[in-house]
Amino acid sequence: MAHVELDARTRSALGSAASRRIRREGLVPGVLYQQGAASIAFAATERDVRRLMHAEGARTAVIDVTIDGETPRPALLKDWQLHPVRDEVIHLDLQQVDLKVVVEAAVPVSLIGTPVGVRDGGVLDQPLREVTVRALPDALPDAIELDVAQLGPGDALHLVDLHAPEGVEILGDPDAVVASVMAAGGGEPEAGEDEGGQEPELVGGRESE
Amino acid sequence: MLMPKRVKHRKHHRGRREGLTKGHPTVQFGEFGLKALEPAWITNRQIEAARVAITRRVRRTGKVWINVFPHLPVTKKPAETRMGSGKGSPEAWVAVVKPGKVMFEIAGVPEPLAREAMRLAANKLPIRCKFVAREEI
Repeated sequence: MAHVELDARTRSALGSAASRRIRREGLVPGVLYQQGAASIAFAATERDVRRLMHAEGARTAVIDVTIDGETPRPALLKDWQLHPVRDEVIHLDLQQVDLKVVVEAAVPVSLIGTPVGVRDGGVLDQPLREVTVRALPDALPDAIELDVAQLGPGDALHLVDLHAPEGVEILGDPDAVVASVMAAGGGEPEAGEDEGGQEPELVGGRESE
Repeated sequence: MLMPKRVKHRKHHRGRREGLTKGHPTVQFGEFGLKALEPAWITNRQIEAARVAITRRVRRTGKVWINVFPHLPVTKKPAETRMGSGKGSPEAWVAVVKPGKVMFEIAGVPEPLAREAMRLAANKLPIRCKFVAREEI
């Protein structure tokens, strides 16, 4: 899989106030953690981070992080935080990996096809959007595909129905539901309009007025 | 209309509406959602009106999730009453909504229809809202 690059510089000021100051300068704070060594706090430009997040397969791609011009370190995107209103990335978590050591990572599940049950008026539900897999960092797939075209009303596909590419092992409960077709529920329309007059019951008896 | 089944106290303090939402800042169940951009108390009547607006627009197809619940009782004194003599009586139930909260979600309908349904729902609410889709990276 193609690697994605990220240029960053170390930051010495830590904490929320310092991070806010960094964000005001157009940078995004982040942390790179590694096994057996101290974590490195870094900052990357907002533009680079946006480019990284929109790169194809960014969720599972190996990121070559260059910090202060040193040799690139291979890393995986572990977590990210978004601003609740502006939807901008406000923090990145990267985990340095050894390309020869198997890692566990979350991989998105993408559904293919329109289920039979949806054509009959049902709604496709996907309770499991990503699965944990064990593989070499370079072998992590962008997504694991699942064909749902044959799914009828009330049917479900489970973790055991997922087919992992070669060299990838899917972890988790094999009976976990990945996708199902449920009845359309937009449909309890004008629920009994009980007017708001009555009051709820009090826990433990009456309260003095 | 939504209201708690059992409560510990009939009347509550008002609390604060500072800051951004801590929970549910993204679409988690459906495909599209309606996000609050301002803090507000959303009454159970407004939640119900928004739900009905969405349901009618999608003609009972798809599935709708409501992620806010009116836990907070709001009291009011009767008109032309002198101050004092205790706190007023409970008048409404409200949900405390802070900016960034995805209040309604929908799945199983095409995006233009979901967008239109959420626009109608937003018209029933006392705050500015925006239509959001599930984030995929």
